[in-house]
Amino acid sequence: MNQHLQHIQNFIENLDLLSKEDKVTLLKSLKSADKDLLISEFKLERTEKVKRTTAILLEETIEELKQKRKAVEDSNDALQKSLQELKATQSQLIQSEKMASLGELTAGIAHEIQNPLNFVNNFSEVSKELLEEMLEELQNGDMEEVNAIAQDVIQNLEKINHHGKRADGIVKGMLQHSRSSSGVKELTDINVLVDEYLRLAYHGLRAKDKSFNAALETHLDESIGKIEIVPQDFGRVVLNLITNAFYAVNEKKKTQTEAYEPKVTVETKKQKDTIEISVKDNGYGIPKKVLDKIFQPFFTTKPTGQGTGLGLSLSYDIIKSHSGIIHVKTEENQGTEFIISLPTKSNR
Amino acid sequence: MKSKSIKGKSTEEIKQALENCLADGFTPTIAIVFISVKQNRKAICELMDSKNIEVFGATSCGEFINGHQTEGEIAIILLELAKEHYTILFETMEDGNMDKAIYKLANNALKQFTNPSIIVCGPGINQNGEHFEGEKLVKSLEKQLGADKLFFGGMAGDDWALKETFVFTNTQESNYGIVALALNGDKISLNGMAVTGWKPMGIARTVTKSDGKFLYEIDGKSAVDLYLKYLGKADKITEKNFKIFEDLAIEYPFLVERDTNETVIKSPTKIDHTTNALFMDNPMPEGTKFWFTQPPEFDIVEEVIEKAAQLKNDLDTEAEALLIFSCGGRKPILGPFVTDENEGLAKLWNTPMAGFFTYGEFGRVLNGRQNFHGGACCWVTLKENV
Repeated sequence: MNQHLQHIQNFIENLDLLSKEDKVTLLKSLKSADKDLLISEFKLERTEKVKRTTAILLEETIEELKQKRKAVEDSNDALQKSLQELKATQSQLIQSEKMASLGELTAGIAHEIQNPLNFVNNFSEVSKELLEEMLEELQNGDMEEVNAIAQDVIQNLEKINHHGKRADGIVKGMLQHSRSSSGVKELTDINVLVDEYLRLAYHGLRAKDKSFNAALETHLDESIGKIEIVPQDFGRVVLNLITNAFYAVNEKKKTQTEAYEPKVTVETKKQKDTIEISVKDNGYGIPKKVLDKIFQPFFTTKPTGQGTGLGLSLSYDIIKSHSGIIHVKTEENQGTEFIISLPTKSNR
Repeated sequence: MKSKSIKGKSTEEIKQALENCLADGFTPTIAIVFISVKQNRKAICELMDSKNIEVFGATSCGEFINGHQTEGEIAIILLELAKEHYTILFETMEDGNMDKAIYKLANNALKQFTNPSIIVCGPGINQNGEHFEGEKLVKSLEKQLGADKLFFGGMAGDDWALKETFVFTNTQESNYGIVALALNGDKISLNGMAVTGWKPMGIARTVTKSDGKFLYEIDGKSAVDLYLKYLGKADKITEKNFKIFEDLAIEYPFLVERDTNETVIKSPTKIDHTTNALFMDNPMPEGTKFWFTQPPEFDIVEEVIEKAAQLKNDLDTEAEALLIFSCGGRKPILGPFVTDENEGLAKLWNTPMAGFFTYGEFGRVLNGRQNFHGGACCWVTLKENV
């Protein structure tokens, strides 16, 4: 018992002035007060102790969390830096991929430019001869003939201009292909684009490998009309699929008898709300074990140095950015077909 | 079923109290004895033998009945129950094979009754002088009996000596055994609950390195350093004689996440200075999620009583006897409130009560599964179905 209460208890017990009943009542109250005091003291002591310990634990925890936050911030900074480096590397890789595909195109482009150049050369030679002839007729004073020759020269110059513009267009297209995408969608004739890249790719490959040969088949649906796409980006997709198809049939050709006829078919088709572009080959097909990896960046089955592994990955991203989808059908020894499905404008 | 509880400082006092109980024709068949290791267990068993009363006994770390809480003494609840409704089972685990002992015990209970309910006490200290892994006992017993069977109980104590605890019957005793009162569950209803009250403090932690009961690292940091530093005892890190369990862990154990959204209290019992590890009462495998804790607040008593009242109300039932297995750690933490907790339960159920302060508890939290607990107030009522 508390010593002061004990003192009071002793006092009450020895006090003769109080009746026995009063003493019992008072002593009972005293005991009750002692119990309350004991509880209060216990509560106070425990509360103080818990408060002290809790404060220490929380202070330590806060300090730990501060350190963790600092570590997270540092990691975040490092991650941001890595991310920037990664983005820079990725854009370099994408540029490399563009340049690689440009390389594949170079021979085709040269072939395509050669035609207008031949025209320019031929017509300019013919025009020179005509002008020499015209000078003679001028000396002869045959103005009628001079006039006729001048008309021919004008026609020739128009043709030279036409073929010059054609060459200019091809060069501009090449530059556009190698430049970063503007990202601006333009109304584009898909059939023209597909046809152009098919020819460029074919002649490009032929220029590099004279032995390469493949039957090209196109089924282009004229009802498609123009749709809004980013032409540089989409051209890259088409080129990539066609180049892959040529590679596939060429690889098969190397191991097959003469009975095998390499064939690449490009088809465009208008569906209800979409248009479809398919590139089909009759190569070996894609093995099942790698089928789910073909759209992953840096995945390639080509020998080292012959493929960046970015072609299909970039194609996938470009198609996605056009709200389209790409899927693949493949059968062992029968071939592969990549089908791009793009929503028409009203559907995007 | 009639019941009466008695207490005493000695065998003589118990003898006197027993005689007084029997005077009105009360004929108990079972004595559930919670007794200090300082008392004469054999004499108590002989006394009960002389009255044809079967003994279910465990040593304690403080014991109590209605209106009396003691330490170093004896508390008994006497039950007058028809012999066909119960059997007292005893198995020793002294050969080290706990699963075998539990298999035999559970099988005997299942042979006797198709739906046994069990009051069970096990050792508080194992043969190496360490805390007994009550979690293993519960898992094993649940497996052998079936998940739907009820059992409540606690781990024997030794007045905080932490050296040797005992369970016993009239004829058998072991410092590493199990005693069980198997009841016919179709005739005797058990209702009870375990409540701890320890609350998580600070952030969730993860065990990153441990091996059995050795806890080396928490969140990649030394477990010893972290535990002591965060609880304001950094100066004790190198002190060889620091009693981590008694002076710290009993108040600030870990609250460990376990299956079915439940938690369990686990405590460091000593520091292993050789390996700089916390030596735990129960293993904390790597990956275990847990929290530092705050001891129960004083309103835990109201919470325990309120939950019990709710259960009583929901079941619309009464009780004919009440057993309380209260963690030894609650006594220093809750001080006089622990008495209020036990008395409050007895008052609520308005029935004779006996209990003891344990080294671990077995029971179910409200709507929970059968589990081992630490730091809990685990109570159970008995009632004969009519």
